[in-house]
Amino acid sequence: MPWVDVLLSGQLLFAALVTGSLYALVALGLNLVYGTMRMLNVAHGDLVMLGAYAAYWAFTLAGISPLVAAPVIAVIGGAVGYGLYRGLFRRLLGGAQVDAGRVEANSLLLFFGLSIILQNVAALAFTPNNRAYQYLDEVVHLGNVSMTGNRIAALAIAGGTCIGVAAFLSRSVAGLAMRAVIERREAAYIVGVDVDRVQWSSFALGFGCAGLAGVLLSMLEQFSPFSGFPFTVAGFIVIILGGLGNLLAGLAAALLLGAIETYGVALTSANLRSVLLYAVFVAALVLFPNGLLARLKGRR
Amino acid sequence: MNNHGMKRRTGLGALLATALAAVPGFGFAQADKPLRIGFSMARTGMLANATPSQANTYELWREQVNARGGMDVGGVKRKVEFVTYDDQSKPEQAVRIYEKLITDDKVDLLLAPWGTPFHISIAPVLEKYKFPMVGNTAASVALRQVKPGYIWFPTSAIPDRIAVELVTMLKQNNVKTAVVIANVLPFTKEIKNALEPELKKGGIDVKLSTDYPPDIKDMTSILTQAKQANPDAVLALAYPGDSVLYSKQAKELGLNSPFQFIAIGPSDAFYPKAVGPASADGVVTIAHWSPRPEWKGSQAFYDAYVKKFGEDPDYLNSALAWMSLEILEKAVAKNGLDKEKIRATISKDTFETINGPVRFEGVQNVITPTAFVQYQKGKLQIVWPKSIASAQYQPKKGW
Repeated sequence: MPWVDVLLSGQLLFAALVTGSLYALVALGLNLVYGTMRMLNVAHGDLVMLGAYAAYWAFTLAGISPLVAAPVIAVIGGAVGYGLYRGLFRRLLGGAQVDAGRVEANSLLLFFGLSIILQNVAALAFTPNNRAYQYLDEVVHLGNVSMTGNRIAALAIAGGTCIGVAAFLSRSVAGLAMRAVIERREAAYIVGVDVDRVQWSSFALGFGCAGLAGVLLSMLEQFSPFSGFPFTVAGFIVIILGGLGNLLAGLAAALLLGAIETYGVALTSANLRSVLLYAVFVAALVLFPNGLLARLKGRR
Repeated sequence: MNNHGMKRRTGLGALLATALAAVPGFGFAQADKPLRIGFSMARTGMLANATPSQANTYELWREQVNARGGMDVGGVKRKVEFVTYDDQSKPEQAVRIYEKLITDDKVDLLLAPWGTPFHISIAPVLEKYKFPMVGNTAASVALRQVKPGYIWFPTSAIPDRIAVELVTMLKQNNVKTAVVIANVLPFTKEIKNALEPELKKGGIDVKLSTDYPPDIKDMTSILTQAKQANPDAVLALAYPGDSVLYSKQAKELGLNSPFQFIAIGPSDAFYPKAVGPASADGVVTIAHWSPRPEWKGSQAFYDAYVKKFGEDPDYLNSALAWMSLEILEKAVAKNGLDKEKIRATISKDTFETINGPVRFEGVQNVITPTAFVQYQKGKLQIVWPKSIASAQYQPKKGW
């Protein structure tokens, strides 16, 4: 395909947006937990996997539409996050003073263990079979772009959730408190932000996002108990590109990743997918070591 | 408290009973002791999602054999017990496991692990301990380089044979132009390497030929190009994961070539569930089995599998696994557990299986033809070659 056609193709734009918005949703959850608590949740992709199973069972056993199940599963994910925070992680964190290095190392080990347990429990409970179901796959034509219903739904829900969370972070008091904790933890503590509340709510929000991403994923592709890890990796690439803890830049980075996966592949070759991905990643780390939008933020 | 005491007493009683039972049984140890059969399987790791159709088949077989009183070991029936470990999707782990099964667990017989690299890795172990094992889920031109002796491969889905047969089939169905898209993993890469020269020889115009990596998440750009080429046939040399991605996106983009070939994935029961029966209909894939009245036991196997697991067996992997069990069963019935005699029997006898007769020359099955199956009204039917076809090939009418 000539490169002009590639860049102007609505079909590719749609594909890039679907991929990018899913990455954004996955990375958002990961970044919330990291940003507020400096915890590296390497089990994040496995939570996505569990969300996918929840939607799968709801659909195949009870005939519940994934679109109906989505908010329920997100809330359940949030509740699990809240429970884990209360039961396990609150003690790790203490008060205003957080030894970031210690928390990062400990949480890495904890979540790594959790990841292995989740994968294997899922394999035991659900068998390692590939799972997938058919839902909302009629093709819709819009101009010369053809889209399946489930991809439109995934784009709308993932995109809408990301925009909603972004608005929450920049407009509401609770959101501003969350950002305050991310940027200046001690200062936020001193001016009276309820850090504990910010922490449990970001945990719940992060886990909820993962569950929701799983539901959307289950409509689009097949999955198994071991499908989560690639999402953890993609999530980490996105949040490192955007700057750890910088939620809004993460959204932009996710769209960039989606664009590389579609436009990059279209302009070069599918075999170069990983090369392109990591080349951009390395280049971004060298040129913008604090994240893509760090300079903008500094100026503000 | 009382309850506890009871339990302890019952426990002791059971122990005593077992001990007593073991004493008079000693003289007939052979017949009473269960036959221990070992294998490794990828239960975790990246390949775990591909193995259940094979592991399920083993499970079904054990259940059936034990229900009829056990496996015939040279005239004596013995119950079958499995000794199995998780190889974590790592061939080197499988090597260690088979060594342990032979030297430490001292199993009586071995079954095959899942997948080509695993078969190739453990072949030297079988050779070293002179332990015969009938392989099943392995297919590669590299198999011909495996030293013949203690391992056999019943599959006929060898890449270079697939290329020849597929091109013959395409020509017979008036395919003039084709697009080839291939996953870079070994099996599909081998097919692609063999297929391109065959297509050229057959006078089929290859409009587009491209590779993609196994972790591909979106095929929009490749399939847009494929659609522009408007080929008579799309040959999607995919693995199970991307077979679904290909089908879903081909549907979205309206890539409606009448001949749709997808290498691996559609023979497994998850495929029609993932893409929907209407989309699955008309897809051609690799397999050389389907229930046919001419193949004794094939319908019974199909029915038993569906009854136990609630879904269709994999027409490639489950059938191969069952064939390997049938061959082993016959060789053991004839020779008992004498490894050298078992080896001699498997090497030269002809075995009746659910996939018709099988005979090995070296490591390869020389009877079963390379074949293709097609989804027709939700069922897989053999459509190539004519000699074993269970239905006529039909062009695919859209997704």
